[in-house]
Amino acid sequence: MAHHKADASKLLDDRGYGGRLIRGQNPALLFETGVRNRITQSYYWKEQCFGLNEATLCDRAAQIKFIGGTTGVNGKPTPFLCLAFKLIQLVPDKSVIFEYLNFEDDGEESDNEGDKAERNGEGEGDEDGDNGIMNGGRVQDPEAAGKRGAFKYLRALAAFYIRLAWEPVEIYNTLEPLLSDYRKLKRKTKEGYAMTYMDQFVDDLLTKERVCATSLWRMPPRSQLEDLDLLDVRESPLQGEVDAMDEDNGEEVEVVESESD
Amino acid sequence: QDWDEEDDVLDIDEIDDRDGIDPEAEYAAWKLRELKRIKREREQIETYEAERAEIERRKNLTDAERE
Amino acid sequence: RQHLVATGQTGEVTRATAEEVHQRLLWLKRKKDEESKGEVLDLDSRLKLNKE
Repeated sequence: MAHHKADASKLLDDRGYGGRLIRGQNPALLFETGVRNRITQSYYWKEQCFGLNEATLCDRAAQIKFIGGTTGVNGKPTPFLCLAFKLIQLVPDKSVIFEYLNFEDDGEESDNEGDKAERNGEGEGDEDGDNGIMNGGRVQDPEAAGKRGAFKYLRALAAFYIRLAWEPVEIYNTLEPLLSDYRKLKRKTKEGYAMTYMDQFVDDLLTKERVCATSLWRMPPRSQLEDLDLLDVRESPLQGEVDAMDEDNGEEVEVVESESD
Repeated sequence: QDWDEEDDVLDIDEIDDRDGIDPEAEYAAWKLRELKRIKREREQIETYEAERAEIERRKNLTDAERE
Repeated sequence: RQHLVATGQTGEVTRATAEEVHQRLLWLKRKKDEESKGEVLDLDSRLKLNKE
């Protein structure tokens, strides 16, 4: 099907829904009724999301300044949540979602996968402290340097969508690499704004039951999929370091409990 | 109807989400988060294995009783 | 539900391919880079003005 309806009328009308399914279901049902109604009644949805397709949605996503669910007394949905609902409506091809997630500017010198192994290398100085942002900084991790997924809020949006729409093995395999993307994300909460990080957000998606005013469907735990040989054991980029520490101490790593999340 | 973002403008700048301002500190903060995750995963595996061992033990018990 | 149908126009939107999405993002990135460059130039010239 090369077309979809520009508005959500068909999407919300179970009787007439003939669009793409997610795990055999009308994808709109991934959002709770109340939230769905608040989204479709919001100004942002009506004015900014109408008629978007996979490409024009990028224009909006590039302008997103924070993630979040619904806020305020009226439970107003964030643009992030509205665009997530738009994605649910579009059910884009996987290749499109990967583009959102890992978009790289081919014009710039690009790091390939091989460089990931070197990300633990210590002491990579920042020679351009004062104008670090402009030059992309000198961060140890190509994920974090924004070389992949240059639009970080679009990347977060794609991650959120993947958690809702894809299958467990794909979810783990696609989202776990983002656990080393430590770029900052602004998150709108009931009280105001809070700081989170891409890795933190992705970890929430993988471990929490509820994220951004949305109940995440229960997925089998990683260990179960490992037992079935559907997944390999996850290797953290810090694994080497942790193993070395283990040998030194002969006991568990002490992780200092500080920093409230 | 209100422009959805209108009332956000006041306090949105409270949080600075720019990256690469203090790369060392940003990396160090991530490292701490990742170590916590590793620790949590280890604990989960331990619990899971303990549970399975317990199930196995009970199964053996009933087998023994049957015979 | 009725009012949704009433407010919703029934235009159809053509799907975009991954390549089209990529091109769109390239364009948006260039645009963003231009804008931030502009801001820096702006700041530089203002700093200069202040010194003089």
